Formats: sequence, structure tokens, C-alpha cells
Amino acid sequence: MRINLVAAAALSASTVFSGAAIAQTEVVVWVAGEPGQTTIYDELAEAFNAANADATITVVKNSSDLFNPALIPALSAGEGPDLFTFGTGPGQPAALIAGGLVADLTGAYYEHSWGDTIPEGIIVQTSSDGKLWAFGNEVETTGMFYNKAIFAENGIEVPTTWAEMEAAVAVLQAAGYDTPIGLGAADKWPVSHWQSMMFGRYAGPDGIEEVLFGDGAWTDDAFVAASAKLQEMGQAGWFGATPVAIGYGELMDRFWAGEVPMTFTGPWVIGGGIEAAGDRISDYSVFAVPPFEDGQSIHPTNSIGSGWYIREGSEAADVAIRFLNSMFLETEGRVALLNAGTIPVGPLDAALADANMSQLAVDIWKTSDDHAANGTVPAFLDTITPGSLTTVSYDGLQALLLDVMTPEEFTAEMQSAWSAAKAAGEIMLPGGLAEQ
Amino acid sequence: MFLDPDSKWAQRLNPVLFLLPALTIYIVFAIYPTYSVIEYSFTDWDGISPEREFIGWANYQRLFSDKIFWEAFRNTFVWSGVIIVINVGLGLVIAAMLARVWKARLLIQTCIVLPVVISPMAVATIWRWMYQPTGVINQVLESIGLGGFATPWLGSPDVVLYALALAHSWSTIGLSVIIFLAGLQAVDEDLYEAARVDGANALQQFRFVTMPALRPVTAVVFILTLTQSFKVFDIVWATTQGGPIRFSEILSTYMYKRGALENQYGYGSAIGVSLLVIVSIATIVYMQIQNKEDR
Repeated sequence: MRINLVAAAALSASTVFSGAAIAQTEVVVWVAGEPGQTTIYDELAEAFNAANADATITVVKNSSDLFNPALIPALSAGEGPDLFTFGTGPGQPAALIAGGLVADLTGAYYEHSWGDTIPEGIIVQTSSDGKLWAFGNEVETTGMFYNKAIFAENGIEVPTTWAEMEAAVAVLQAAGYDTPIGLGAADKWPVSHWQSMMFGRYAGPDGIEEVLFGDGAWTDDAFVAASAKLQEMGQAGWFGATPVAIGYGELMDRFWAGEVPMTFTGPWVIGGGIEAAGDRISDYSVFAVPPFEDGQSIHPTNSIGSGWYIREGSEAADVAIRFLNSMFLETEGRVALLNAGTIPVGPLDAALADANMSQLAVDIWKTSDDHAANGTVPAFLDTITPGSLTTVSYDGLQALLLDVMTPEEFTAEMQSAWSAAKAAGEIMLPGGLAEQ
Repeated sequence: MFLDPDSKWAQRLNPVLFLLPALTIYIVFAIYPTYSVIEYSFTDWDGISPEREFIGWANYQRLFSDKIFWEAFRNTFVWSGVIIVINVGLGLVIAAMLARVWKARLLIQTCIVLPVVISPMAVATIWRWMYQPTGVINQVLESIGLGGFATPWLGSPDVVLYALALAHSWSTIGLSVIIFLAGLQAVDEDLYEAARVDGANALQQFRFVTMPALRPVTAVVFILTLTQSFKVFDIVWATTQGGPIRFSEILSTYMYKRGALENQYGYGSAIGVSLLVIVSIATIVYMQIQNKEDR
């Protein structure tokens, strides 16, 4: 009886102490995605939870068009996620930082030697006033995805000059492809990928930088010429007769079904493409859009898009930083990201040796790397400029395609919105960290 | 300790006690948010900063010079007009016809009412798919020799607003029909009998018996349709986001863009308040006309 009592007491004590030992800190993480859809971040969270008994990462997905409207009130109420993805660059995070809603990560940057992994160019887009506000985690690019089988059927080689590009489109149109290049412009944002790439090609990296952080204007000749070229391509039916009537999802369905020969997009479509096309996925590859004008260089689109922020006042900030480190600094996390088609920032040598990337992902990054020496330009101007400019750009790009606005009017409207945002202090000052 | 149930105080207090739970919920979830929106509309606030700068009527003054607001304003009126014509006009006709149908009435009624219970996002997805240039609507038109009417429904500036209004009506007309049908049950069958004796045909019976008898019900359906159509957001946002360009921009989508997407919560609130004022004025004007005609 006595032994039983001792055993019961020991059991109770062990239960109490084991309960204390497994007390966990929960980190709520918000990422863009459809509820119910599994992302690479779910897998990384699961691996982190398994390896860290003191922490639980809970990943919550919000669709991209509802993400920001849900995030801002949640953060303002002090009940937002501990860790979340959000736009970077001079436009979008300025209000969050000014409102004191995000934590200063400068200390973590030095403590965990993030500088060994995150390049200077990305720090510039995620810092202001000498402080780091976001962990710029992954690199995004865009390229021309194409159907090799359709090209081969019609005797088309991958175009390397604009004349060859025009010839390829003409052959495809003659062969009955009413939409040689799919656009999905009903959703507005896919056109901004073209805009970012073409603005970068015509203005070059310095020209873009001059507008974002200097005294340049969107009305400069290079941006007018780029807008005019996009409109000209639309008028010639390159994007089909009615690009603004077709949504991006429907367009991608047609692309993977082999009904549309080309579309300009990014590596985020690869997972869905593998599911949709099955064995035919080997029919697809990627090339760099040739220079639009003589003497123009190919500047790959290369930017971080969004970064990871920690909510100011989060009690789980330390665990959130550990989770960031496990995803983006440790080899296992980087390999998992690469296998999912996401390219983490920094040197990839160690991770690439263990990674098993899809051929399409390899193709798009090779396309980017081949021209990286020319200098890169932002892939998503719409995520690094203020929301008011994004609205004007989205509407204006559709107006260009519908031929109801001139390139001069379009760029003037952009500049007007940009100037207003600047005057209202909605634009971050050039970044960079203060030495510690 | 307790009030005498027959006392004057108890008789005054009892109804208040019964009302209190519902009233509390209404104040917390309807009155207070409305008051907050009105308060925000007088401020310059990004939705983030803890400080809201009071700027008086500046947001309302800005509305007058904002051409996009007026585009959205005009679109909202066209949108509501189309929906009212379909939901009230066609809804009444369908209900009157259904009231005279006995065979398969339940089946037809169910088919008309079913879309009402489908979530707005699902409705948007269905119609977005059907309205694609290669979608089922254009395919059907072409297969029956009406290919000339095939059009890029969501990409055509002249068509998009009407196309979306039709989709919205498809999903809401069932409610109008049900309300009208309920009203028709109350119409005295003797009135139709008398009309028939006087030689009235079906159309005349509808014009001189059904319509006057349903006047109060029509007012209810009109006001419900009007308020519902003015506050629609989901179907437009999930199909076109107000596009192409701004040809399907209505006040609710414009309010969302300015407020939630561009962090101009003060100005977005002013747009919201203007929407509230417009709906209130339209409702009051309609009620006045109704009352005048009844007198």
C-alpha cells in the first residue's frame, strides 16, 4: 500500500513536471495562400515543431487579396500574427514601421550573423533609418514559360532577338493559336509582371533605382517607351483578342492544357503545372524575353517581393527568429525550399548539392543567372510601391491593353500617384543598416 | 425587493428587459460600428497609426473632386437599377405565374430559390467561369447560331456591369419571388373571380388585381433589393475587382480599395457614409412616393 502511494505520488509529480517541461510557446505565422492548401511553410513548421519540444508553429493562410486588409486591423488591435510575410521596398511597409507595428530586427541580424546569408541589395529593401525591419528571405524571378512541343511542331526556335520573337508569334497566330502569349489580365496583377520587366529593360537597373530612391519620374522617356511597346503588342493580338476578359487561373489552365504556347510568369506556377500537366511537364521550359530594341540588354527580374516581419511586442519573438533561422539559414530548410521551387537568399552551393529541383525551376533560374551580370531589376513593382500607385498601375495597364489610354497618360497618372504618396510620407527612405 | 407585476413600473420595465439582449447586440454590432465609421470619416487615418488626425469635412470635400468616386457612383446606380428591374419586376411576374401553376410548382420554385443559398463567392466563381471568352455561355450561343452575341463578357467595358448585375440577380431573385408568393397567398381569390366576371383577361387581372394588392409587399421587396444591391461587394471583387479598368467599379469596391488596400481608412469611411446616405435617401423617397399613392 505504501509502495503504491509512493508510486502514485511519483507518477503525479512526474506528470506535473513533464507538463511543465513541455510548456510550449506558440508562434502564429501568417502566409499568403488559400486556406486548406498546403505550402512549403506547413512542412517546414512541422519539421520545426518535431525538433523543438518547447515551440509550436501554427501556419495560417490568407488569400493574397484579403491578406493585407485582414493583417492591418489585426496588428493594430495587438492581436495579429507573431510572424508574417508582407511587402518590402520603399512603398508598402512604411506605414507599418511608422505605426510601430513591427519589431526592429537589427539585433537579431547581428546576433545570428544574418549578414552572411542575406545580400546587401536585399537589406536595402528591408531596412530604413539604419534598422532592419524584415527578413528578406527568398528571391523571385520571372521568365517566359513556353510549350516546347508547340514550338517544335511549328518549327520555332527559342527567339533571341525581337525580330525572331515577332516571327515566332506570327507563326503561332498563323497556326491558329489565338493567344500566342497568355496574360490573364482580368486579374490585373499579371500584367504588372510585364510592366516590371519592360520598365526594367527600357530604363535599366539605375533608371528604376533613380525613381524609387532618387529624383527620377515615371514619366521619363524609358517608361513611356516601355508602355507604348506593351500597348503595341496588345494591339497586334499577341495576348489574344480579349486579354482583359480572361482570369489568370483560367489562363494557366489553358497553358498547361497545351492551348496557349507562352506565358510570362514565375516559379510559383511550377508546382501546379506539374500537377496539371503530369508527364507532359517535360514539354515546358523557360526563356528570357529577347531585348525589345537594338542595343538593349536583358536585365533579369530579380527581387524579394515580400519579407518576413515580427509583430512588435510579440512574446514569441525569440522562437519566431529561431524558426526563420531554421527555414532560411540551416541547410535542411534551404533544401526543402529549393525542392519546392522557392529560392532562398544567399549562397546556394551547400543546399543545391542535396536539392532535387524540378527541371522547370532549374530552367528559369538558369535563364536569370545567364544575364545576371547585366544587372537585375525588380520583378514586382506592384509589391514595392504604395497601394495607391498599384491601383493606378493596375487600372492603367488594362486601359493600355484596351487602347483607351495613351502611354503618356498612363505614366502621367503613375507619376501623379507616386508624387502624392511621396508628399504624404508613404515612401520609405533608402535603406541600409547602421554598424554595431 | 421585487416589483409588483401589476405596478406601473413593472409594466414599463418588463418590455425593456425583454428588449435588452437584442438591443445590446444591435448597439454593439450595428450602431457602434456605424458611429465609428462616421467618426473615422472626419479623420485622416491610415488604419495603423494610433493617432487619428481630425480634418473636419475634408474627406467629404475630396469626394466632390474625385472623378473615380463619381464613376463608381454612376456605376452603382446603373447596377442597382438593373437589379431592381430584374428582382422586383421579373420577380413579381415569375411569382404571379408560379401562383397559377400547380404541376411541378415545387420543383420550379426550388430551382429559382436554390441560388439564394449558394455562397456569394461560389456564385462569383460559377459566373466567372461561364463568362470566360471560351466559357459555356459563348459556346451555347455559338452552337445555336447566335455566335454574333458571343462577347468577352467580363472584359468588355460596355457589357461587364450588366453581366455582373445579371449574375447577382440570378443569385438573389429567388428571395423576391418567395416574398411575392407569400403576398399572393393573401390576395382574396374573389377579386380575381370578380375581375373575370367583368371580362378581364390574365394581363388585366395582373395589372388591376395582383399589382395593387401586392403594393405593400412590393415596397418591402424594393427596399430589400435596393439596400442589398448597394452593398454588394463579393461578386464584383471576385470576378473583376472593378475592372476592366473601372467599368465595374461600384461604391463598395471603391471604398475597399481606398480604405483597406491603400490604407486610407478616413477617406474610405467617407465613401461608406456617402453610400449609407444615398441608400437612406432612396429608401425615404420611395416610401414617400408609396405613401402618397396609397393616400
